[in-house]
Amino acid sequence: MPGHVGSDYEKLRPEFKVIADPYSGKDVLLVPAIVPDVSLIHALQADAEGNLLVDEKEDDFLLAQASRVVVASTEEIVDPDALRRAPYGVRLSAIYVTALVHIWGGAHPTACRGRYGIDAAHLEEYLRLARSDTAFRDYLQRYVFDLKDHAAYLAEVGLGGLA
Amino acid sequence: MAAVIAREVRDGETVAVGTLSPIPAAGVLLARARHAPRATVIIINHEDYWPFHNGSKEFYDFAQRGKFDLFFLSGGQIDQFGNLNLIAIGDHDHPAIRLPGGAGSAMLYYLARRVILFRGDHTRRTFVERVDCVTSPGSSPPRVLRPGGPWKVVTPLAVLTFNHETKRLELESVHPGVSREQVQQATGFPLIAPPQVPTTPPPTEEALSLLRGPVREAVAKLYPVFCRTAFLAA
Repeated sequence: MPGHVGSDYEKLRPEFKVIADPYSGKDVLLVPAIVPDVSLIHALQADAEGNLLVDEKEDDFLLAQASRVVVASTEEIVDPDALRRAPYGVRLSAIYVTALVHIWGGAHPTACRGRYGIDAAHLEEYLRLARSDTAFRDYLQRYVFDLKDHAAYLAEVGLGGLA
Repeated sequence: MAAVIAREVRDGETVAVGTLSPIPAAGVLLARARHAPRATVIIINHEDYWPFHNGSKEFYDFAQRGKFDLFFLSGGQIDQFGNLNLIAIGDHDHPAIRLPGGAGSAMLYYLARRVILFRGDHTRRTFVERVDCVTSPGSSPPRVLRPGGPWKVVTPLAVLTFNHETKRLELESVHPGVSREQVQQATGFPLIAPPQVPTTPPPTEEALSLLRGPVREAVAKLYPVFCRTAFLAA
């Protein structure tokens, strides 16, 4: 990529290589491709085949193209025609999707477009408790282990209406 | 030929069929209807088997990630080394015949794990000693990044296989009613073959009825003329 040559990225990231662009002769930085083993994607909608509708403001499509395995979750399962008629979003083919989970409220505590906003208070609580292992165990206890299912989680975080 | 191609499709594989490839399309759909129900099938421009939403770029990006297990190519000329010519016959600057061009065939010949070559005819004009222009080389030096390459050649007369040790095509089987001599006569290079050349197993009744029924119907969505003319009556 153009740029970055001479920055400390050259020292900090030994896998980045400076080479002469064979066309212009100028130095450019090469960055190796990232190939995630697994990526988790939350879709606005999906059909039963695993085709997804994802937010075009996010980079889910790129992530799906790059990853070996894609596990998708979705707010809603709809019929394939409804996916085609969606007024916004990017359609991502089932060919990229390894597994699909139907889980309303699945983006919490981050936002899901047109459904619910970001839960800033919950994220702050998470950040506070994630600072130490003991405190994080409390977080897991309260929001994962002590709740019997996802509906109970949504009720606990104040999104109970979604279910 | 479609029945022979179908046998090469393994269940669970991702198989793509390019442009102007009705016979591979029929073979792949036959495999999916029979022994490979979990195969992911991509057929360029087919309304039911085209999963991409961003044009051919998304298809080529997918191929470049090494996601295709099986692909199909052909050539105006094919030689004994598995080289393909889709550029020109004769001198490149003053060609006797200008061929359509390689499109993605050079890249796909390297990247799809197995590539089956097919031709609707088998003549000395096509199967030459050496191609006039190399669109897609059959083999590469070891330092070239090449996860895939040629696997087999399927024609109306025979099946040839690519030997990755010797980097040459070899006769694998002749179709029922075809002799080894006939294949040699139609081929512009000396055939390497076992002393007893096996006969290609003919398609089963089940395969034929699938080909003439649902497979033909699906292929006709993209290749109506081919499906009106190429299938024998049921």
